[in-house]
Amino acid sequence: MEDNEHKTDSRRGFLKKISTGSILAASGLAFSSLSSCKNKSTEKTTLLTPDGKLVQVPNSEIEAMEHLYHGAPPKEARKGIPGKKFVMVVDLSKCKNARKCVQACDKHHNLTPDRPYIKVLEMQDNEESSPYWMPKKCFQCDNPPCVKVCPVGATFKRTDGIVLIDNERCIGCRFCMAACPYSARVFNWGNPPEGKLDIPYSPETSLPSKHGTVAKCDFCPDMLRQDKLPHCVSACPNGVIYFGNELEDAVTNGEETVRLSTLLRDKAGYRYMEELGTKPRVYYLPPVDRLFPFEKENSENKTS
Amino acid sequence: MKTTIINIIWILKISWSLLFIFFNFHMVLGQEDESMEDAKIALDFVADTDSKFIVATATNSNNEPIEDLELYFYVKRSFSNLPIGDIFNATDENGTVKIEFPNDLPGDSEGNVTILVKVIDSDLYNDLTIETIKKWGVPSLPPDQFQEKRSLWAAAANAPIPLILIISALIFSIWFIIFYIIYMFFKISKIEIINSKSY
Amino acid sequence: MSKQGEHKQEFNDRREKDLLRHILKTSLSYKLWVGFLILVILIGTYGYYRQLKYGLIVTAMRDYTSWGIYISNFVFFVAISLVGSLFSSILKLNKNEWSKPLTRISEIIAVSAIICAIVIIIVDMGRPDRFFYVIKYLRIQSPIIWDVIIISTYLVISLILLYTSLLPDVALCRDRLTAVPKWKKKLYRIMAINWHNDPKQVAMLQKVTKILAISVLPVAFAIHTVTSWLFATTWRPGWDSTNLGPYFVSGAFMAGAAAIIIAMYFIRKFINLNAYITESHFDKMGKLLVLLSLVYLYFNINEYLGPAFKMVGVEGEHITELFVGKYAPMYWFVQLGGLVLPIVLLLFKGMRRSLPISIISTFIILGAWFKRFLIVIPSLQHPYLPIQGVDESYLHYNPTWEEWTITLASFAWFLLIITVLIKLFPIIPIQKHEHVSKRHPILNFQK
Repeated sequence: MEDNEHKTDSRRGFLKKISTGSILAASGLAFSSLSSCKNKSTEKTTLLTPDGKLVQVPNSEIEAMEHLYHGAPPKEARKGIPGKKFVMVVDLSKCKNARKCVQACDKHHNLTPDRPYIKVLEMQDNEESSPYWMPKKCFQCDNPPCVKVCPVGATFKRTDGIVLIDNERCIGCRFCMAACPYSARVFNWGNPPEGKLDIPYSPETSLPSKHGTVAKCDFCPDMLRQDKLPHCVSACPNGVIYFGNELEDAVTNGEETVRLSTLLRDKAGYRYMEELGTKPRVYYLPPVDRLFPFEKENSENKTS
Repeated sequence: MKTTIINIIWILKISWSLLFIFFNFHMVLGQEDESMEDAKIALDFVADTDSKFIVATATNSNNEPIEDLELYFYVKRSFSNLPIGDIFNATDENGTVKIEFPNDLPGDSEGNVTILVKVIDSDLYNDLTIETIKKWGVPSLPPDQFQEKRSLWAAAANAPIPLILIISALIFSIWFIIFYIIYMFFKISKIEIINSKSY
Repeated sequence: MSKQGEHKQEFNDRREKDLLRHILKTSLSYKLWVGFLILVILIGTYGYYRQLKYGLIVTAMRDYTSWGIYISNFVFFVAISLVGSLFSSILKLNKNEWSKPLTRISEIIAVSAIICAIVIIIVDMGRPDRFFYVIKYLRIQSPIIWDVIIISTYLVISLILLYTSLLPDVALCRDRLTAVPKWKKKLYRIMAINWHNDPKQVAMLQKVTKILAISVLPVAFAIHTVTSWLFATTWRPGWDSTNLGPYFVSGAFMAGAAAIIIAMYFIRKFINLNAYITESHFDKMGKLLVLLSLVYLYFNINEYLGPAFKMVGVEGEHITELFVGKYAPMYWFVQLGGLVLPIVLLLFKGMRRSLPISIISTFIILGAWFKRFLIVIPSLQHPYLPIQGVDESYLHYNPTWEEWTITLASFAWFLLIITVLIKLFPIIPIQKHEHVSKRHPILNFQK
């Protein structure tokens, strides 16, 4: 079951040993690699845009732009990926508020740090129990209060379990924001921060964002269409977030792959505020036997 | 100050990895020539009434069984491969290893699962992957099960019928009254002065 | 001609003259008043222009406080609009004679309030350019759609209600008012639809009035109950309550009655209707207001006692914030100054005289407006999950000047519609058939 993890761990150990042994040999290379790095970031590539124009794009931006083209157009995006029901498991015992998930999400959804889709909340269940970090995204509920109240069907539930928003239909009434008990939704109060993005709109990436409409975590369906994990999952350095297809009974955090049913059973998985009956598609594993002590002042989380 | 340190650390890291890859590359090439060989894996699928087993037999180029060869068993999933069997599955003196295939693992709509058997990072044998499709999984729900059902959270076209009926009945009854009143006004306007009686 | 007939003739002539006078004469104070209202509307229009240009970012609303004073103002206007049904239905079906002169005022206020409610909800939209998507992509499951349906229905019913009682008077305007501009003559002629007091017409109109009196009541209850469901269908503390429908409806009747009293005071003062809107009307309205306030008080106790006793989680935090926290001054002003104190004061006969009761009603209206602020905003600031990691401005809600000017402009609209309707039509129903004695105040009133 855990041989995958084991394998990677032993590999890492090996890499470390080798590294320590070759510090002296490597230091000589430092200057040359610095200069080559610089060159790389200023290089440009010519790309063809969807409307047939040739544009020059710096190489450093290509990775960020690439995924935008994979989002399906609004009509297609309503359907969902056939044969899948996506599910997420967040292991609270591993989270140390590294905030890499937040940063990756902000980057790929073009968000400013003051209104992210993902929040890592400092939680404390009661005065005696220890505080813990709780990464919170949209729970993609199976009984979604936000979708129920939408007057125009701008937010919708797909067959693959994902709740998306069509910003070309949203009228900005913000009823969904009031209805969501988990405060998962944000609103584009003003004009989008990125200015004008010259790409066709897709609800699967929520880009380019439109003023006066609602947005939220979308489980990155553009990535899922390519059988790739959402950005937050692959960005997490501690393997906190597991993601998978519920119908295949398997979730992965990028390193280890486990059976969803086994994981939830063995580690007492739960859903936040089950009593609301919203049936979230995001499970939590309780913050027991934690890997990291709770530290409020984390060097990583200061940055954002 | 801090960023400079981080930068230097990064540069060092990159350099180490480059060096490492460089050396490793040579090592691998060197080994392949001398001692690395291809292992042969024969797979046998045994299905009882209530349990299923995969029996793998590893032999070398001389058809001799390989003992203590680490084999990895996986089932293909959307984003990654799900390991099955024990944590370590090494062949015995006959070159075989037997692992149990879970009975409740979902397959596709027909119950097909893709089973992968791999040799990874062995000291003596090259990496190897054998892919087999087997009808051992639990069939997943047929596609029509995914059709959106009538519910409060469904699209407009799939609103619950009682809701549509109740709201339509209410709208119809109140607007019937409204139109009846408008009709009454129309009739009032059509009454001509017969017995003129200004008050 | 008998003596009784003489009285009647004199009575009718006097009535007509008194009640049509303000349509013919335009006073300076009227012009100043309209000018002032238009000025307020223009300032609000500038605020709205800025909101259209820059988006809702110009408001103080943010991701947690996602609804602000626009929504509370909307609820307030919906509440005020219920008053039309109070007079045209409840008091009429109970055969109250004294309330008849006030029917027209209440119906005009209802029409004006419901129009303003519609306008303010469009102002609140992030994408007003997509307003018609509500029809194009209508989702019958959404409480907003139910609200859209019921509000448009109530608007039509309110207009019909006003028109039904107005019809004979419009015909009278058409026949009697010769010294008015041509467009007014044309308006009266079209609106009077060939009405000539034919017995058949009178009978049909009475039938219409009766149908309306019965059918407006469920619609009026529905409009505010459905509006309460915009809140009650969510899990927010203070909203997640089965009590919300009757709580809103009872509050609406109280606020509406207070609005009528204020309107009565100013109409009486500025168009010299002291003989038609008498102290006895204020007295009766005072008693009615006490009754309505007591009902509202009852639902208020129900709304707050349970959660305050249990103090469950965020619900408890919300209650604490209202009772002793940030919103305590506003909360106790609303509950004591806008509800308990008026009830106590209005028990005294002296307080039910025109001036004191109008001042008390002003407090009730202010209380009603801020009550809706307290219903909408603090609930949104107490979500289940803690508010963390957001910009400082997301934690508070202090409406910006754009929001205030737009809100004030909506009030100006409300008053302007009322003013214009009063100016165009007789504010007291002229045509009524009643026994007239020699001591009737209209015949004996000394100016």
